Amino acid sequence: MELQFKSELTISESGFLFDHSTGLTYTLNSTGQFIFRKIQDKQNAMHILNFVMQEFDVSEETAHKDLDDFVRQLKEFDLVSR
Amino acid sequence: MTEKKAYSKPTIIRHSVGVQNKFGRPPATVPINRLDGFEVSELAEKYGSPLFVLSVKALRDRYRDLKRAFSTRYPNFQIAYSYKTNYLKSVCSILKQEGAWAEVVSGFEYDIARNIEVPGNQIVFNGPYKSHEELTRAFNDGAIVNLDNYDEMQVVEKVASELGKTLEVGIRINMDLNDPPWHKFGFNVEAGHAFEAVKRAEAGGKLKVVGLHIHTGTYVDDVTIYSRAAQGLVNFYSYIQEQLGVKLKYWDLGGGYASHNTLHGAYLPAEQTCPTFDQYAEAICPILMSGPFQAQDAPKLFIEPGRAIIDEPFSLITSVVSQKRLPSGQRGVLLDSGMNIMSSVQWYRYNFQSAQDSGTMLEDTIVYGGLCMNIDVLQASSSIPPVRRGDLLVIPHVGAYNISQSWQFIYLRPAIIAIEDGEVYVIKKAETRDYVQGFEDVPGKFITN
Ligand SMILES: Cc1ncc(COP(=O)(O)O)c(C=O)c1O
Repeated sequence: MELQFKSELTISESGFLFDHSTGLTYTLNSTGQFIFRKIQDKQNAMHILNFVMQEFDVSEETAHKDLDDFVRQLKEFDLVSR
Repeated sequence: MTEKKAYSKPTIIRHSVGVQNKFGRPPATVPINRLDGFEVSELAEKYGSPLFVLSVKALRDRYRDLKRAFSTRYPNFQIAYSYKTNYLKSVCSILKQEGAWAEVVSGFEYDIARNIEVPGNQIVFNGPYKSHEELTRAFNDGAIVNLDNYDEMQVVEKVASELGKTLEVGIRINMDLNDPPWHKFGFNVEAGHAFEAVKRAEAGGKLKVVGLHIHTGTYVDDVTIYSRAAQGLVNFYSYIQEQLGVKLKYWDLGGGYASHNTLHGAYLPAEQTCPTFDQYAEAICPILMSGPFQAQDAPKLFIEPGRAIIDEPFSLITSVVSQKRLPSGQRGVLLDSGMNIMSSVQWYRYNFQSAQDSGTMLEDTIVYGGLCMNIDVLQASSSIPPVRRGDLLVIPHVGAYNISQSWQFIYLRPAIIAIEDGEVYVIKKAETRDYVQGFEDVPGKFITN
């Protein structure tokens, strides 16, 4: 699955996210930031899942479910294309 | 191999304007992972989830604080605990140990009090419907009976004839104190009905009016309502004393004192608005002491607290079953407990606290109960950290009405435990199917082909 951000987004070191097109702001936790940066690096969802499992102490089942939920949320917020 | 980082669920939260009130109430991010010294997770594992947990210390402390506040301001004071709020035998027994009398509003509640050996003369029997048999039993036991209506007065006159003696009674009165006023119980003062009722009771020759009872409402967090009720009692007593020669043995200000739970629609959290017991007592006692009597003859003052002493001591441990995204983008969390055991969600915005360290990333969440009913929403909007299936939440201050008004529906109702001095006691076992269906019978005719 190809994930792509719709507009120009700036994320700070602390996980504060600014959407230049809407002016809306968000906060991401560390795992959220990690995934966010992988999307910026144009990784697809399968690869991101592997990166998460390499980086963090988490089972595949949990990581997969959480990643799906996170991506769903990015779509709800209209940050990535549906 | 390098050590992997600790994982937390990836989360993104959109900032919105105007979620916090102007006092910027800090959201509850501190997990409650212990209750009275016991790990929440261990309690849930051992006794199941959901699980009601009573802190006996908190109950005794609430009771003692209330008693202290009033008895230091009024010479002849007695708490009659409102059984309907939570009539678990252990709760009623602990409060009996503390010196509480019982305030009951039905024959069933009366029976609960007698069953744990509350003496008849320490029971206040209110309620709009008391049967002939129940009234006879109460007068035989020497209970305090407050009359709600003329039909009841007639029945009690009959009981007096049957017992061959004059019976002492209290009259329930109401006043225009709140908006909308509580007119359901007793006789209205402003309309002259209360005076008529006292006059009528005395005129029949079988009854003697020795008490007045008023219950101003429930969750009354405006102490001036109690001041007005107290002034109303003083004025009314002065009037019936002067006109009819009535001498009161007691007056009863009912219940209604607020607990530390926030009502829906309240602007400020209850921690900032709930009056202290001292504030209630100060609003009531000096006014009553200005009544038409010498201090040493002060009528006994009863109050009938319910939620104010029983809400705080109980918590509910409940598990997350699932979480989902709604089309609106809002997060939904589904719990294993429903409004069948949490009926007070109608009134209260409960706090849902995580029982494990879930971080500080709070997100606006709709909290669904586990019932297969669309209306089973425990909270339309609550700030909750990321949680996943199996995580535990603790809902504090759930002691009032939830248990006595619970209903059994599709799931079995959970166990209830009490903790005191480092010991856990199961005070009510979780229901079983046999328990629920035990009174059913299937006639053979319905089974054979
Ligand atoms: C007569 C009477 N006394 C006491 C109470 C207890 O009320 P609360 O739980 O608000 O203190 C009630 C409740 O409605 C009541 O009807």
